[in-house]
Amino acid sequence: VLRPVRAAPDRISEKVEKSIKEAEEACSGDPASSECVAAWDEVEELSAAASHARDRQKANSDPLENYCKENPETDECRTYDN
Amino acid sequence: MAAVCTVYTTQSLNSSCSISTPTKSHLGFNQKQVVFYSTGKRSSKRSGGSLITCSAGDSQTVVIGLAADSGCGKSTFMRRLTSVFGGAAEPPKGGNPDSNTLISDMTTVICLDDYHSLDRNGRKEKGVTALDPRANDFDLMYEQVKAIKSGVAVEKPIYNHVTGLLDPPELIKPPKILVIEGLHPMFDERVRDLLDFSIYLDISNEVKFAWKIQRDMAERGHSLESIKASIEARKPDFDAYIDPQKQYADAVIEVLPTQLIPDDNEGKAQPSHGFHAEGSSLALTLASNSPTALTVTSAMRLDELIYVESHLSNLSTKFYGEVTQQMLKHADFPGSNNGTGLFQTIVGLKIRDLYEQIIASKAATPLEATKA
Repeated sequence: VLRPVRAAPDRISEKVEKSIKEAEEACSGDPASSECVAAWDEVEELSAAASHARDRQKANSDPLENYCKENPETDECRTYDN
Repeated sequence: MAAVCTVYTTQSLNSSCSISTPTKSHLGFNQKQVVFYSTGKRSSKRSGGSLITCSAGDSQTVVIGLAADSGCGKSTFMRRLTSVFGGAAEPPKGGNPDSNTLISDMTTVICLDDYHSLDRNGRKEKGVTALDPRANDFDLMYEQVKAIKSGVAVEKPIYNHVTGLLDPPELIKPPKILVIEGLHPMFDERVRDLLDFSIYLDISNEVKFAWKIQRDMAERGHSLESIKASIEARKPDFDAYIDPQKQYADAVIEVLPTQLIPDDNEGKAQPSHGFHAEGSSLALTLASNSPTALTVTSAMRLDELIYVESHLSNLSTKFYGEVTQQMLKHADFPGSNNGTGLFQTIVGLKIRDLYEQIIASKAATPLEATKA
C-alpha cells in the first residue's frame, strides 16, 4: 500500500492537495458543470508539475555527484580521460 | 496493462511528390520487416506541382510536432529523441527557472502550454480547460513557429506550471531541429502545415489510468477517486479537441492494455522469459486493421532486445545494435522494458533520418533548379 507523502517539493505538493479539495467542492453541485471540469483540469496540471519536479529531484539525488559538481579537484572526484 | 504498443502511420504518408525517392516515406510491416518511409509529404502539399519546391523550403530549421495528453510520456519521449541527436537537453541557462524549454546542441523543445491565452485563473473564471482551443493563442503559435522555421529568433511567453501565470517571455533562437510538444501541435491548420513530421502518443484510457495511479498515488491528497474523476472530467474536451489530431500525425504510437496477462492492472506487463519464435510471450504481430502497423506485445528484458532488433529492418540505425544501445543508455526511463520505449526510440531514429534527408535535399535543390 502506498502511503501518501509529500513527494514533490512542498510548494507544489500543497497546491495539488488544495486543488483536489477545491475540485471536489466545485463538483459537489453539478458534476458536469464547467467549473467542475476546469477545477479537475487544474488538478491534472499541478499533478503533472509535481511529477516533473519529483523527476528533477531524483535526477539530482546522487550525493557524490552533487559534491563533485562543486569540487571537481578533490581526490574522490578527479577523473582523467587517460 | 501497458503492454501492447503499436506504431502506425496514416495514409497521408504516401507521398506523390515527384522529387522524393519512393523508398522514403512509408512505415510498413512486411514479414518481420519494419519499413518506415518518410518525407516529401509536407513539401508535396506546398509544391503546387512544381518539381523544385519539393524540399522543406529555404529554411534551416526542421519542425517536428509531438501531441499527447498530459501524463502520457511526452517528456520521456523528448528525452529519448534529443538523446538520438546527441548531447543532453537542458533548460535555458540563467533564465526563468520554471521555463519549459529544453535546449541541446541540435534540438530545441518548446512546450505549447507557453501559448496559453488564459492563465490558470482565467480558465477557472471562464470555466474552460487547457484542452479547450479558447484557452490557447494559435495566432501567436503560428507566427512564432513560422518565424523560427524561417530563421528568426522570437520572444516566446512562458507559462509557469507552478504558479499558473504567464511569465515574461524568453528568447528562442532558431535551432537545427525545433520540436513543439503539447496538447495542440496539429490542431491549427496553419501550424500543422509548418510541421515536417508529426507524432501522436495515443494512450488508451485504461493505460492512462494505470499510469496516473503510478504517477500520482504517492502525492498527498490524491486517491483512486480523484485520479479517476480528473480523467473523466477532462475526457469530453480531450475527445473533442486532442484525439482528432491523430488523423494528421505521420506516426502514431498507440498503447493498449495487454492481452497476454488477464486483468493486469499495473500497466506494466511482466518481464518475459526468453525469446522464442513461436508461442512466446514476446510477439511481434501485425495489427489486423492496418497494413503499416508494427505491434510489440509484452515486457522484455533489455538484453533480449537485440533479438528483436535483429529481426526488424529499415530502422534507420547507423550501425547494428543502435536501437538497443539507445535503450540501454536510458534504462531508467519509464517504458524501457516494453514497447513504448522501443517505439519511441525507433521513431527518434526515423526523425534523425528524415532530418538528414531534408538537409540533403536542400543541398541538392539549387542543383535541380539549374538543371530545370
